Amino acid sequence: MNLDFGVAVAYLPHLLQAAGLTIFLALTSQAVGTGLGTLLALGRSAGPRWLSAIIWVYVWIFRGTPMLLHLFFIYYAAPLFGLTLDALPAAIIAMSLSTTAYSCEIIRSGIQAVHHGQIEAARAVGMTYPKIVRRIIMPQAVRIIIPPYMSNFISHTKNTSLASVITVPELMLTAQMIYSSTYRAIEILSTAGLIYLFLTSCLTWLQLYFERATAYEKRGLSERRKRLLGVSQPS
Amino acid sequence: MRGVSVEVTRGEVLVLIGPSGSGKSTLLRCMNFLEEPTSGIVRLDGRRLGVIDSNGKSRRMGGRELAEMRSQIGMVFQLFYLWPHLTAIENVMAGLTDVRGMSTRAAAEMARAQLAKVGLADKFTAYPEQLSGGQRQRVAIARALAMEPKVMLFDEPTSALDPELVDEVLAVMEKVAEEGMTMIVATHEMDFARRVADRVAFMDEGQIVELSSPQDIFEQPTNERTARFLRKFLA
Repeated sequence: MNLDFGVAVAYLPHLLQAAGLTIFLALTSQAVGTGLGTLLALGRSAGPRWLSAIIWVYVWIFRGTPMLLHLFFIYYAAPLFGLTLDALPAAIIAMSLSTTAYSCEIIRSGIQAVHHGQIEAARAVGMTYPKIVRRIIMPQAVRIIIPPYMSNFISHTKNTSLASVITVPELMLTAQMIYSSTYRAIEILSTAGLIYLFLTSCLTWLQLYFERATAYEKRGLSERRKRLLGVSQPS
Repeated sequence: MRGVSVEVTRGEVLVLIGPSGSGKSTLLRCMNFLEEPTSGIVRLDGRRLGVIDSNGKSRRMGGRELAEMRSQIGMVFQLFYLWPHLTAIENVMAGLTDVRGMSTRAAAEMARAQLAKVGLADKFTAYPEQLSGGQRQRVAIARALAMEPKVMLFDEPTSALDPELVDEVLAVMEKVAEEGMTMIVATHEMDFARRVADRVAFMDEGQIVELSSPQDIFEQPTNERTARFLRKFLA
């Protein structure tokens, strides 16, 4: 077997540039998915029945069909509605729609894990529902959902490779184009693989960081907060 | 619940006794609209709860109006329902900052005073899971008292406690009563009822069967069901 990683090194700048697009795709669609997913999760757990039903149908469809199909669908169906979408916006829309469905369910699991008694206690004190969400539900839900949320973020990052099929020049498509002209598939694919692994490792590390940052009872209050509350004396 | 009508005057302590499932909890929960009565009227200081009457028309209160009314009614639950992501002092402060709009500093000062009053001056920065059941319930009482409510509702506040922790909670409640707080207490602690109550209501099957002074209820109950319940309970 003859391997030549010189090719990979020569094309590394191209691959890294393409990885930039992969990161952009992953971050934008995950951000949209998180925002919309939070709204849908709240609508599903606290909204009126009709809204909850609509959201259920949305999740049912988008979680139940392949993302590859969403990509093709948005890309090819848009012109039917008089829209011509470039590959990149089409990919961002399709991937956002897909990850919104997953995010909704993950965030909902966190919301539902907060005991209803705590919500009653907040109502009894006189908090309105938006306050309860912000002060009581979300701080606890966030901590609960970190592992499943980050798992989904990692799969989602890898799934950006599917955007290659609608010609978005992200990491996977760029790798394919390079090895089809250089015939160095093993070298290029393993380099691309390492780049993916690096990206997902960053997310794994981020997960660890979030888990530590939200382990409130292990850290206790900060010195600054203690001074503000007038409880700096050792207790 | 059927035909329950009771008026509690300022500074009065009304104790509700009766078998499990007799409607004590439901009655308390209707008093702050955690449970919405299908019919009937709840008034606080002459103002109708949950419904607004104007020009002969009546409409249900919106979330904000209802929250405002609830903030004048303190509630203590059987299972405490402290917010586990907040320290003791933050549990007490939450209503002050987020409902009353007090500054963090002022709320902290108020919360420290309330916690000191329930004997927890050394537990300001403890998280609920670091406290015993009796301490948790005392934090919950401080949380309700801090709002300076017009009336305090206690829903079997000692029923979930180990026997050796019951007295510390009852002692705090007795102190609150001595300070002139209007209180409605559902409990199985007959000694407490005898000692602290101004009036005792015996409830059974969703009705107030007998309502009179603790002396009369405990020594010469006029109703056969009351007598039977107390014989069994005090035996």
